Amino acid sequence: MRRVSLPSRHALLERALSLREGSIIVVTLLVAIYFSLTTSTFLTSSSFKTLLPFFAPFAILGAGEVFVMILGEIDLSIGATYLFAPLLYYKLAVAGVPHVPSVLIALAGCMAVGFINGFFTAIVGISSFVTTLGMLFTLEGLTLIVSHAEPVSLPGAQLTSSTVSVHRVINGAHIVLTETVVHASTFAKFLGEGTYSELIWAIVIVAVGQVVLTFTRWGLYTVAVGSNKLAASEAGVRVRLVMIRNFILCSTAGGFVGILEAVRVGALEPDVAGANEILFKAISAAVIGGTLLAGGSGTVVGAFIGALFLGILGDGLILKGVNADYQLFYLGLAIILAMTINVYVQRVRRGSRNG
Amino acid sequence: MADQPVPAETIVGPVSAPDDVLRVEHIAKRFGPVTALRDVNLHLRKGEVLGLLGDNGAGKSTLIKIICGFQRQDAGQMFLRGEPYEPKSVDDARAHGIDTVYQDLALIDELSVYHNLALRREKVHHPIPFLANREMKREARAALDDIGINIPRIDVSVARLSGGQRQAIAVARTVNSAADILLLDEPLAAMGAKEGAQILDLVARLKEEGRVSIVMILHNYVHVLQACDRVSMIQDGVIALDKPTAETSVEELTEIVVNEYRRAREAAQAEAAHAEAARLETEHG
Repeated sequence: MRRVSLPSRHALLERALSLREGSIIVVTLLVAIYFSLTTSTFLTSSSFKTLLPFFAPFAILGAGEVFVMILGEIDLSIGATYLFAPLLYYKLAVAGVPHVPSVLIALAGCMAVGFINGFFTAIVGISSFVTTLGMLFTLEGLTLIVSHAEPVSLPGAQLTSSTVSVHRVINGAHIVLTETVVHASTFAKFLGEGTYSELIWAIVIVAVGQVVLTFTRWGLYTVAVGSNKLAASEAGVRVRLVMIRNFILCSTAGGFVGILEAVRVGALEPDVAGANEILFKAISAAVIGGTLLAGGSGTVVGAFIGALFLGILGDGLILKGVNADYQLFYLGLAIILAMTINVYVQRVRRGSRNG
Repeated sequence: MADQPVPAETIVGPVSAPDDVLRVEHIAKRFGPVTALRDVNLHLRKGEVLGLLGDNGAGKSTLIKIICGFQRQDAGQMFLRGEPYEPKSVDDARAHGIDTVYQDLALIDELSVYHNLALRREKVHHPIPFLANREMKREARAALDDIGINIPRIDVSVARLSGGQRQAIAVARTVNSAADILLLDEPLAAMGAKEGAQILDLVARLKEEGRVSIVMILHNYVHVLQACDRVSMIQDGVIALDKPTAETSVEELTEIVVNEYRRAREAAQAEAAHAEAARLETEHG
């Protein structure tokens, strides 16, 4: 084997910190270590499973939001598309459209929402904060109108149970037991119901998103437009096209997560306040992961880690038995603390390079 | 603005030569209440280096931005190699063989040197269109070596470079394109003497090769006389002078500008006197 000289520990640390996500990785690890030392249950697989819904949806939402935030824009309407997409899917499915086309049409609806956001921002010239705020209220209002503000159970996600005979080996003796097994449809397992379904979607979407951002012209133009819109257009980048397609991407991610979550829970609750909280957590995930609100810089992987940070924090607080009333309070403080550490680490990082 | 005096030698009708690659006729452009260009006629011969002069705000950059497809004129036509030319976008102008170094350089701070050099001309792999970064780096290195400006690292963001280096990158991007008409808006603005000389050497070399024709905005008249075949000067939105550099001098160019300042000062004084008279009239009348 070829001998490779290992970089010194200092150089490794420096390289880790020179990653844009380096500081938040450190902070997330610290939080994870804290909870694994102070609770006996944090490092268990069941704990990991409860962590997933706290984290995977926000990784996907954050990934979409990163594409808009790198442009220097923001999409406040993803909570609303998160609510509206599963409702659209539900209405179509109830009307007799098969599940998969229903989902695809619902996602096409989200793309239309993204197009409208992009159109009013890039072509009409309204700030994206205002455009998407308007879209947020419009879509949430529409959701309430269509659903009559009543929760419904999703048709594709309904469970069936049956009794089966299971062979078991206990102390060397073969015995047959009858057990009740709950079945979810393959469709539902695929779209959120399966334990790891959301995690797998999150990993795939984040990986693809990061590849698009780093290795394709789409990503290059996204950074160019976010860094300097005038220069990008002078250089021939079609700024409006780049903006509109990123808004479409972001809305689609929002709607997709909405469908995943609705299928996972098996029901659809038109909870407008909850949707807005989801929006803010998604933006938090992106910001904690190092994406600048001012644009020009950010990574999808960062949003994934930011979401992981939020998830670990939420899960850990529950495991520590923190009163539910205190959780948001601690979450807020932790976000500010994490970002403070983030800023300092980045200052160290900038100082470590010359120029 | 139409009632302002126009210098005596102003060229009003279209000017041209048989071997023109680019002709600009009666171009006008307003931005709201501001008239940037009133009636501009300009021509560029094949292989020629044309110096475009004029006071700040005279409309030089506006003219460049119209020719390069970034803005549309309000009136007038352009002809490229004898054909009517109406660029729909910067990309469209490039497809017609016109490339530009903007006054603001149009560099993206967050992107690396080589990505800036390749912007809108990226090399990608096949069949999956991932960025061919290694190839772009190699081409960037070759392009920078070609113009002889030393930029030690091309994988750092351009934000970290000096003004002169940034300018060199913008010039390299344009010179390295396939375009045969280059528009350079103050290519020496942020450069030190040495870097500036390198760019002027590059322009001289391009002129010798004879493939490209260049319109160049410059402020330093010595540079103009050294680098350009011909000068056109914009004043008050029209071309006030159009001469081969051999027939003009730093003195003549300076004289025109001094006259313009004098006229502007007299106009301002007359206006102030007029306003004062009006004020006195309302106070005492």
